[in-house]
Amino acid sequence: MSPEAFAYPFLFIAIFFESFILVTFLSKPARAARARTPNTETPAVAVIVPCYNEAATVAGTCESLLALDYPKEKLEVILVDDGSTDGTTKAMARFRGHPQIRVIRKENGGKHTALNAGIAATSAEIIGCLDADSFVEPDALREIVPCFANSRVAAVTAAMSVHRPKNLLQHMQNAEYTFGITLRHTLASINGLYVTPGPFSFYRHTTLKEIGDFRYGHQTEDMEMALRIQRAGYEIENAPRARAYTKSPNTIAKLLKQRTRWTTGFLRNILGEYRCLVGNRAHGALGMLVLPTALIAIGGGILTFSATLFNFARHAMAAAEVRAGVPLSYTLLMRGPFDWFYLPVSFFLLLGATMLVASFSLIVTGKRISKTPGNLVLGIVSYAFLYGLVAPLWLLRATTDVALGKRRQWR
Amino acid sequence: MSLLARNALIALVITIVLIGTVAYALSYLNNARIAELAAIEDQLSIDTLSLDTQFSLLEAAPCDSAASSTAFTGTLADLGDRLSYAESQLGTDNPQVVRLKQHYSLLEIRDYLITKKLAAACKTKPITALYFYSNAGDCADCDRAGYALSYLRDTYPNLRVYSFDYNLDLGALETFIALEGVRRSLPAFVINEKPFYGFTSLEELEKQFPKGVFATTTGSTL
Repeated sequence: MSPEAFAYPFLFIAIFFESFILVTFLSKPARAARARTPNTETPAVAVIVPCYNEAATVAGTCESLLALDYPKEKLEVILVDDGSTDGTTKAMARFRGHPQIRVIRKENGGKHTALNAGIAATSAEIIGCLDADSFVEPDALREIVPCFANSRVAAVTAAMSVHRPKNLLQHMQNAEYTFGITLRHTLASINGLYVTPGPFSFYRHTTLKEIGDFRYGHQTEDMEMALRIQRAGYEIENAPRARAYTKSPNTIAKLLKQRTRWTTGFLRNILGEYRCLVGNRAHGALGMLVLPTALIAIGGGILTFSATLFNFARHAMAAAEVRAGVPLSYTLLMRGPFDWFYLPVSFFLLLGATMLVASFSLIVTGKRISKTPGNLVLGIVSYAFLYGLVAPLWLLRATTDVALGKRRQWR
Repeated sequence: MSLLARNALIALVITIVLIGTVAYALSYLNNARIAELAAIEDQLSIDTLSLDTQFSLLEAAPCDSAASSTAFTGTLADLGDRLSYAESQLGTDNPQVVRLKQHYSLLEIRDYLITKKLAAACKTKPITALYFYSNAGDCADCDRAGYALSYLRDTYPNLRVYSFDYNLDLGALETFIALEGVRRSLPAFVINEKPFYGFTSLEELEKQFPKGVFATTTGSTL
């Protein structure tokens, strides 16, 4: 059997999942979510900014929060310095005395402890988080608040994209994040979210009191919290027009480190404390479709990549062997005009292309529904050529770490 | 039916339709390839007959049909390349491919015989190479030999290369193999009627050709 044949089931699942996203996107609940208008109600809101050595960006993050279109007496910003050793304390000092800002400094204990310190310091009805390397649009909070109208909603996520992508790797991540906007919006309509990301996710304070504070969560406290919310039977919503921008890793090494942390966090949470959610009919789309697909995607990503790499290496070696001794001027040059007859299409290649085209359409959809500015052409191109090469690296690294019980540092 | 189940069902139908479309598109492309091969083959059949007739008509001056013969060999080489590619895509057991290969082999034998007749009549010495291969898994060096021969054919237009699948079930080819005295030791070559077996390198293969054949390169392709 050809090694490609091993990848077919995963390609089938990927195309099925993308089709499911498309169908659900067009369904009534998602349409209703898109039609939701910014509310005039303004409950008290606190936004916690946990910081550890974020001197370069924390001021910008704080200023973008202060620029939010929301009654000043109802919006509180809590800057939590988690024992930074750089100039973060100094950068925060300039905001001391601001009527909307509270600054807390504590011993370093990890992001979850910084968030908990912020939660303990506020009595606001709705509590948000914003990573200290992220920024928000002025109308973002106005988009978030109406989602809490449903009393079953315990958390609301925003529409994230990359802040000023510069190199190809960041453009690739921007396309991926924009894809995530469609995904998050669509899955939220069937309560299928399993992560409430650091950049601008909000929680109902009463729910936090009921289910407890943030936990270490295998270095993914946002995922652990989301899973706990789901397990408790609450819903996680999404506001697709609440735009938040985050700094993204600018080198492959940094990206691998970040994504390995995310993937190991997912695997350890899902295969550990939250295993009960997987395949659980009571948890609907999340239990029956989203979590199983996410687990399969990790295995599928590794297997498809390995099969492709193996095939490529096999063909390259065979081609090199066949061409040995023949002048390079003959082997490397194309002879004659383009001829469709020699178009190297295969079932595997066409299925891959189908999956990629579906991904592109979901990326474009994400940009449209969130009204995110900027050009995505470079993002889509780099996503098409880069993502399939780098993503398997962190999937492989993460699964190996989990299998071997290896723990890595956050930074 | 719940929204989740309904959407999953619709997504499944869409997936099946998409995969079906991909399979259909691939089959359509392969059929188009076969159709193209058949069209070239038909044209070559007419050309063979035309060349044969031309040769008979010009019994007194057969050399006038030599130009037509050279162009015909070029088209035959192109058909060979396409057939080889189609075989790699559709498989060696594909009945249409096998049928086309049989027809192609007949055309090659025919062209080879005409070339010999023309050479005798016109007192010329064309350089011909018969190449016998197998893709039944019993010829480890056949791919390398075939590629090296393609290089020689493309680089030296005066060289006429005829490739035959040794295992092809075709009476005329079996007779041809017997007449040329080719043993089942593949890859096998008959270069200017002198048999040569095995392939080690391009240099070694070049040595089997008459001296001076590869002295000049034109860079043109048949």
